[in-house]
Amino acid sequence: MLKKEHSDLLTQTGPGTPMGQMFRRYWIPALLAEELPENDCPPVRVKLLSERLLAFRDSQGRYGLIDEFCAHRGVSLWFGRNEDCGLRCSYHGWKYDVSGQCIDVPSEPEGSEFPRRIKLKNYPLIELGGILWTYMGPPEAQPPQPEWEFATVPQTHTISTKRLQECNWLQGLEGGIDSSHVSFLHRSDLNTDPLFRNAPGNQFNLSDLRPVFEVVESPGGLYIGARRNADNGNYYWRITQWVIPNFTMIPPRGDHSLHGHFWVPIDDDNCWTWSYEYHPTRPLTEEELTAVREGKGVHAKADPATYRPLANKDNDYLMDRAAQKAGKTFSGVYGFGMQDASLQESMGPIVDRTKENLVPTDNGIIMARYRLLIAVKALADKGVSPPGIDTTHQKVRSAAIILPPDQPFKEAAKDAFVARPAVAPVSV
Amino acid sequence: MQSESARMSSRAEARFRIQEPNSRARAIKVIALDTASEAIVSRLAARPWQSATFLSAAAFPGATRDFSGQPKDLTIEAGTADLVVMVASPGGEAHAASTIGEACSARRVMTTGLVVGANPASEEAVSKTLSQLRPWSLMLVIADPDDYIDDMLTALRA
Repeated sequence: MLKKEHSDLLTQTGPGTPMGQMFRRYWIPALLAEELPENDCPPVRVKLLSERLLAFRDSQGRYGLIDEFCAHRGVSLWFGRNEDCGLRCSYHGWKYDVSGQCIDVPSEPEGSEFPRRIKLKNYPLIELGGILWTYMGPPEAQPPQPEWEFATVPQTHTISTKRLQECNWLQGLEGGIDSSHVSFLHRSDLNTDPLFRNAPGNQFNLSDLRPVFEVVESPGGLYIGARRNADNGNYYWRITQWVIPNFTMIPPRGDHSLHGHFWVPIDDDNCWTWSYEYHPTRPLTEEELTAVREGKGVHAKADPATYRPLANKDNDYLMDRAAQKAGKTFSGVYGFGMQDASLQESMGPIVDRTKENLVPTDNGIIMARYRLLIAVKALADKGVSPPGIDTTHQKVRSAAIILPPDQPFKEAAKDAFVARPAVAPVSV
Repeated sequence: MQSESARMSSRAEARFRIQEPNSRARAIKVIALDTASEAIVSRLAARPWQSATFLSAAAFPGATRDFSGQPKDLTIEAGTADLVVMVASPGGEAHAASTIGEACSARRVMTTGLVVGANPASEEAVSKTLSQLRPWSLMLVIADPDDYIDDMLTALRA
């Protein structure tokens, strides 16, 4: 269990909250670049960390992320006209540039100084790896641009998707580092999903249903190792990376692409589940790209306008009891992504962690909470910069590796944990 | 699922609006143009305001002064404002309006003319004052109660 005050500390991310302040120290994914596909395209509403914002791309291709509402009478600028290097409110024509600076108030005399006195809150918005990232913290603490490997490999090597998840961000994260559920919830899909199947290591997943876990602190977060019996008395290790606060990378399978998630708070009851898919040394194949777009692997098919999964709580996640009974899916829900999301959403917007009965295999979750609490308090009390901001913490990889029983994975696989250009992932 | 506009205009979503200030204080100069309006502006000057200053040009073309008695250059004062509010009473001599208006026009400063106490005044008196203000006011307001100006200045974040 987790004390209520600690759960509150970690789950509340609005302005002024300690966890919200911590999130505001990182570059976080805000939109897919495809949401602002061309200059002067329609603006997009964005809610992040309980703040309502509007993203737009001006006539010169500059990105802006500004307060959603016009400073004049408080109407939504989503109705605005994106033209001539600014967003013009449809109500009375006030116009703003990408920095949120008001540049025209038509009711004022031409050349009036008044517009200079009006400025909407804004945050930087940059494109990297097909994602628009924002930094919502104090300008003086703005870190260097993110260097996650999936976002810095050539464009042909990477693709990302996002989907709405209707629960608190921490529930998503805790599912992502909870390796012990894979042998149950996802077991039916390992040998069929195009982004997982035919990896030699899959046999060990399916033959040893009682993995042993080892959780080891890493510079940026945790290595979460799951150990299963392999051939010849060796161990098959699958080591997940978690980087504080919300990044995970799932261990690879064969030469399949690597993948993982970010969970980004929209507000305290909703988050975006970001899912990336990339290969460090080769372009993604057409089959892989198609699989991602069809919601295979860790992705989910979503409404292209709202990014809400097509299987969602309003249709019982398209639950298929016959398939569940026949063993085609363990839970009756299709797809890794929605199998996870359906259960995490079923816990409610913010699960009551005071009622949990955790077991030793939940140590990844326990340790992650512990490290988050330390980081949040250190930032709030002493101004200590949290882990995960340092770009060396971002250049990481997960690994799948077979090791002799006497070798600790942290030492034996240490090179595998580092993202190195043109070096293939360590995978089985 | 409701449309995005339906969801985002709900009471629940209103609490996620950004609360930070979206403007810096405007320099608002409130200028009495005649003796009757001087009393109203004097009353206003005694109240605390963020960024408003109060002057009297009732003696125009004699000296313009603030309400501590300091003389002021009317052209400079008008030209350095973000907004000038000219206060006049019906039948009063609003001679300073043209000087203020020209200064504001040259510096692209917004002007508002306010005629207070219009109700008991004759139509002729109101018309006379309006004709003096109209050429120099981008916004013209005719108000009966003289405390309307308090609400107006508050609304303008004065």
